[in-house]
Amino acid sequence: MTLLSFNIPVVVLLPFVGAIAAAWVSRYSRLASAWAATIITLLAMAFLAPAAGLPFQGETLIQSWSWIPGIGLTFSFRLDGLALLFALLILAIGLLVIGYARYYLSPKDCMGRFFAYLLMFMGSMLGVVLSENLIQLVVFWELTSLTSFLLISYWRHRQDARLGARMALAITGAGGLALLAGVMLLGHVVGSYNLTDVLAAGDRVRASELYLPVLVLILIGVFTKSAQFPFHFWLPHAMAAPTPVSAYLHSATMVKAGIFLLARFFPVLSGTPEWSWIVSSAGLITLVIGAYIALFQHDLKGLLAYSTISHLGLITLLFGFGTQLAAVAAIFHIINHATFKASLFMVAGIIDHETGTRDMRRINGLFSYMPHTAVLAMIAAAAMAGVPLLNGFLSKEMFFQQTITASQVSGWAWAIPALVLIAAIFSVAYSLRFIHDVFFNGKPVDLPKTPHEPPRFMKIPVDLLVIICLAVGIIPMFTVAPVLHVAVAGTLQASPPEYSLAIWHGINLPLIMSILALAGGALVYTARKRLFAWHDASVARWDARIVFNAILGSLDRFAVGVTRVFDKGSLQNAAVWVIVTALTAGFIGWMGISAPLLGARELLPVDGVSLAVLAVMMAASLMTAVLHRRRLVSLLMLGVVGLVVSLVFVKFSAPDLALTQLSVEVVTVVLLLLALYFLPQSTPRERDKVRIGRDIAISVLAGAGVAVLTMGVLTRELTPISDYFLLNAVPGGGGTNVVNVILVDFRGTDTLGEIVVLALAGLGIYAMLRGMKLPAPDRDSQGRLWSSDNHPEIMRTHTRLLFPLMLMIAVYIFLRGHNLPGGGFIAGLIAAVALIVQYLANGIAWTSKRLRFDMHWVIGLGLLAATATGLVAMGLGYPFLTSTFTYLDWPVVGKFEVASAIAFDLGVFLVVVGATVLSLVELGKLSDSSHKAEQQKRRTEVR
Amino acid sequence: MLEWILSALIVIGAFFTLVGSIGLYKLPDFFMRLHGPTKATTLGVGAILTASVLYFSFKTDDISLHEVLITVFLFITAPISAHLMAKAALHIKLKRVGRTREPADH
Repeated sequence: MTLLSFNIPVVVLLPFVGAIAAAWVSRYSRLASAWAATIITLLAMAFLAPAAGLPFQGETLIQSWSWIPGIGLTFSFRLDGLALLFALLILAIGLLVIGYARYYLSPKDCMGRFFAYLLMFMGSMLGVVLSENLIQLVVFWELTSLTSFLLISYWRHRQDARLGARMALAITGAGGLALLAGVMLLGHVVGSYNLTDVLAAGDRVRASELYLPVLVLILIGVFTKSAQFPFHFWLPHAMAAPTPVSAYLHSATMVKAGIFLLARFFPVLSGTPEWSWIVSSAGLITLVIGAYIALFQHDLKGLLAYSTISHLGLITLLFGFGTQLAAVAAIFHIINHATFKASLFMVAGIIDHETGTRDMRRINGLFSYMPHTAVLAMIAAAAMAGVPLLNGFLSKEMFFQQTITASQVSGWAWAIPALVLIAAIFSVAYSLRFIHDVFFNGKPVDLPKTPHEPPRFMKIPVDLLVIICLAVGIIPMFTVAPVLHVAVAGTLQASPPEYSLAIWHGINLPLIMSILALAGGALVYTARKRLFAWHDASVARWDARIVFNAILGSLDRFAVGVTRVFDKGSLQNAAVWVIVTALTAGFIGWMGISAPLLGARELLPVDGVSLAVLAVMMAASLMTAVLHRRRLVSLLMLGVVGLVVSLVFVKFSAPDLALTQLSVEVVTVVLLLLALYFLPQSTPRERDKVRIGRDIAISVLAGAGVAVLTMGVLTRELTPISDYFLLNAVPGGGGTNVVNVILVDFRGTDTLGEIVVLALAGLGIYAMLRGMKLPAPDRDSQGRLWSSDNHPEIMRTHTRLLFPLMLMIAVYIFLRGHNLPGGGFIAGLIAAVALIVQYLANGIAWTSKRLRFDMHWVIGLGLLAATATGLVAMGLGYPFLTSTFTYLDWPVVGKFEVASAIAFDLGVFLVVVGATVLSLVELGKLSDSSHKAEQQKRRTEVR
Repeated sequence: MLEWILSALIVIGAFFTLVGSIGLYKLPDFFMRLHGPTKATTLGVGAILTASVLYFSFKTDDISLHEVLITVFLFITAPISAHLMAKAALHIKLKRVGRTREPADH
């Protein structure tokens, strides 16, 4: 197995693993996580390097593993020229951003969290560009939305950060759903989710009647991600993120993901009138609107955000033209925009960092304070404006050329170069504003800090990016040409057309447009004062956020309205809905079949003892309902019902169920007792006769329905699946207790899922109850104070004696579980009861002091043990969770059987103990603290 | 011989359990009733468990000791519950018949 057979998934998954490492090492040192992130990025580059040569030789590297072949899911990766270009952008700019962020973040910010999020984002982004399977691509796409949400809301104490993050998630998340639908349809049309097949099936897709839905759905995904009109408005609000995030996500990578998809599907979807119309009009509108609004932003990052929107529109417009040369220009501009815009964002971050504000009306004349940064910013901004000898000029020239070509298509198409020229004029104007307002234009106004040059290493990433701008702009043939060439080949899936990267093409129309734009931009900038006044008076009031909030608000209200109908905040109401629905559905189902209600099987004889026991159960359950106003008695009656049920299990040879029922009963009663403490002392009497009648009717119907259903099943001769398990338990799983063998072996994956749910429930209860305070009564319904003797001495002493005995039983039940009634679940409940008894008898403080281990760890270890057992089997080449067993001969004990399933069962045991104790003790702490607070109040009142 | 011993143990056990139940029903106040299940039942169940130990030890090859553990559990838990119930009864000042004396420190 060579490196080239598995290195791409390593590149993608490494940042995810690295995120954990980066978060973890930040405990030891603040800067360690920055170093960890750097090393991880370099490692990812090193893994990518051996394959990087392949696209240059015209090869496409595909690495694929089967996942769920039945539904077309493979775990597969692809490296061609386009993917390589994006992977390089993501990794290289990522590296620079990491270095920059290390100086940007203040000591108050948590470094570990930042770099962990950033690495997770990097991994998601790499996953998007390197995926071969389309479903897998969408999964990584969603991950970029989620991680960017985390990054935008990194300063979670700020409301604008939270709102901006939520808006970005709502828009890009919705787009992701549309993309998923589009990709599913596309896979349906092509018959495969593999990109190779899809790219080869362009003609079939364009001829398909599903072409338009596919196109529209995928474009919604693209436009939302790349902030194209009418979804552009989330990007400026996402500027609440720390500036390194803006530089990375909102200029160089994430917003380019949509563009990437345009390029990816270019050979499949482009070349139709629909494509041209939708893509180029969205691009053109975005280009013009973005450039116009950018000029009027007073916030430095706001200007850059709208400028980014405008440049993304430019690239989209190029793809919309649909010609091969336009695609070349688009790819070229992707590279150039990433370099100059990332450096501009970094400069904006430096200025914000050094002056304490981003308001361009206050930041003036910084040239004398930070000349080095100023020069960098000027070069980058000039590249943005399209000044010759810089990279932006080259791609803009190509862009102008394409608009001129497009203008010959129809009579109205001359509007395209005209509008583009207007946008270019504004682009020059806002670039001028960025330079002149910030670095010249008089003195700074009332700055929070006195600015000076930032630390040297904060400037190095900007230095490098600006050098690239210059190098590409002056000697394109020796710098960018090869990469551009393979990227274009990867985009078109064909050899690139003839194009020239020369700086001087002679005096032609594009050059005249460039000169017009530069001159016009300077004019607009000089007239800015009047323009600002006009803009503030008219256009400034329009804000897409208002529409977004209105839509979101009405959605919220609708959801609340629907919820209110079903959930009135009362358990009775919710229960009625569930039961009545079940009854109705059952009744409708029953109407449809003509078979007799009861089967032909003969009933078993009834003996007196069983009858008496069942009578007790019925009486007890009736009493539970009748005595519901005397809660304690009612609860005891419920306990009686539970105990009788476990006796019934014993009678019908289900000892495992009986044991489980017994231990669950104990835990439930303790739980309910703890909860009852917080209810009002007395329950008001139900007076509504109609409602009582209705409830009784529903209960009787539901009870009768269940009874009839049970009888219907029990009186029929069915061939149950249990025969298989009974036959195979010993040969297949090595245990005679079939129930346990099913749990840990035959249905091991189900059990794994169940304990995960249990663990989550335990953690959820912990999280909800933690730090909660509830008012608790300090006396009972007759007005008597609670006894002050919380932990009677006799109980304390005796229960300590019981503890080892109870644990011994748990161990015994656990060990014999594979062959006799017992197992990890029951043993876990027993051990949990043993621990809870100690908490109850001796108090939480006393027990916690002696019981040193944290239940979170117990849960975690349990899940780890269970999963590891399954993975070991996989590592040995068997399916997940395959169990093995052998027989050992020990001197005294004799021959006994050891199954690997016992390690899995240990995991079950630990999770059950952890989750049960965690939730019950947290509830106990709640009543403990409330009780103490009450006693405190009483004492102060007495004084 | 074994059969006689077993029978005697079971009858003793059943007798004490019955006495305990009758006591629970007949005795006039809570403090007296408390004696029924706690004292008599302990002895009754104890005798039956001893019978079980003997029976399974002689009938099968192994010595059966589970019942000893049950006895130990009962002997530890029965006093706790009795104590707690009595404490609760005192705390909420349940009615007593004249013969039931006041505890010393109340």
